[in-house]
Amino acid sequence: MKESSNIIEVKGLTKSFGETEVLKGIDLDISEGEKIAIIGPSGCGKSTFLRCLNCMEDPTSGSIYFDGVDIADVRVDINVHREHIGMVFQQFNLFNNKNVLQNIMLAPVHLQTKRLRRAKIHNFFCKLFRKKEKMIPIETTAERIEENARARAMELLNRIGLADKADVYPSTLSGGQKQRIAIARALAMNPKVMLFDEPTSALDPEMVGEVLDLIREVANDGMTMVIVTHEMGFAREVADRILFMSDGVIAEQGTPEQVFDHPQNPRTQQFLKCVL
Amino acid sequence: MKAFDVFYQQFITKGGYKTVLLGLLTTLQIAIIGLLIGIVLGTLIAVVKVIPKYKKLPKALNAICNVYVGFFRGTPMVVQLLIGYFVLMPALGISLDAVVVATIVFGLNSGAYVSEIMRAGIQSVDVGQLEAGRALGLPFSTAMLKIVIPQSIKNILPTLGNEFIVLVKDTSIVSFIAVTDLTKAFRQIGDANYEYIVPYLFLALVYLVIVMLITYLIKLMERRLKRSERKQ
Repeated sequence: MKESSNIIEVKGLTKSFGETEVLKGIDLDISEGEKIAIIGPSGCGKSTFLRCLNCMEDPTSGSIYFDGVDIADVRVDINVHREHIGMVFQQFNLFNNKNVLQNIMLAPVHLQTKRLRRAKIHNFFCKLFRKKEKMIPIETTAERIEENARARAMELLNRIGLADKADVYPSTLSGGQKQRIAIARALAMNPKVMLFDEPTSALDPEMVGEVLDLIREVANDGMTMVIVTHEMGFAREVADRILFMSDGVIAEQGTPEQVFDHPQNPRTQQFLKCVL
Repeated sequence: MKAFDVFYQQFITKGGYKTVLLGLLTTLQIAIIGLLIGIVLGTLIAVVKVIPKYKKLPKALNAICNVYVGFFRGTPMVVQLLIGYFVLMPALGISLDAVVVATIVFGLNSGAYVSEIMRAGIQSVDVGQLEAGRALGLPFSTAMLKIVIPQSIKNILPTLGNEFIVLVKDTSIVSFIAVTDLTKAFRQIGDANYEYIVPYLFLALVYLVIVMLITYLIKLMERRLKRSERKQ
């Protein structure tokens, strides 16, 4: 139904909160492995747009094709697709009642064990009604799921250099550490796309670097990314394409060189004059 | 000291303490099971109330919950007991033990109050916690059960303790439907000699001690919860 090179296709997306129309018709194709940075003045709908991409905000109209499925359709089980769309928040949002390791393991373990349980129940009924050909092959056990998730979590923690913090609760960590763990938590789901919602805006200046380094590393691994950011230098360095949003529409887009060095739209020029 | 001697004789020698102990058991049973029913019901109602309301089903559920909470908060518990025992039971053609009826009424009643406590507790947890869970693909129910509700418990516990104390004290009205609770047990001791001063003072003392014990237990639990947060 969709050409395979585009992992996300947004068509005519609008979003209103009550009377106010925040997004006024957005079309965007994101191809696999592409890194997109969204910039623009505050209140222009950048974050809302990003949150629509995994239906954190339900779009008012329009469609969002993720892997060929319209996830804006309310009949689609959004949870299945969200597993493949990692999201990193401005406020980190680590689970305060779980330690670091549990934060990373919770979702993978829960979702996989649920699937295993469903498969077992399904197979039980298949046996009951003598339809063995319909049985789902089970290759794993609850213990192995837990083990694998733990190994993966520790691998990620080692990679971000926080393995010693595995048993610690989030309240004792610095902002930079929290955000790196939040990124690790999203990566633990092996997502196809990562959405970053102003990942460094709530950080103290001295911690911005460590988080940006990690995002850069993830980008170099070939992850498809959409980043809402105010870090212009970073956007320019990492992104393949810059979107400039203004008043709920994409006012200008292009390569970093095009947008930053030769902006065409007067609004872009004005905005860049203020921030650069 | 004559009044005290009479009480002593009735309480110890004539075995009045047995009734009192049974009454105490009934009182605690009604209060504890009532609270447990209340917590389950209250949590369900609170969750219904915090679900975003853009679909039809939550709206209908919400309306039902509002009627329920409105009725149980808007009428005295004695009246609810009387209606449960003398109106609903015959009307439905069932016969239950008065203690069971009292427990159910207490559960339903506390459910209405606990729902408000729970709602406030759930709303005190940052929305981002729920969002982070949902963004990882967890269903609403799982994110609520594993992430939001455990965090809200810390805020809920003191108020919930208050609710339990209220419930324990309110059990003194169950004699309206002929349940022998603590209050009725002491009244029976007084009835034996028409000597009420000591039994009723003693009764007040027993309630006071129970409530103080509960208060102490809640403080202990609160401290435990705080410690788990500070760990490492």
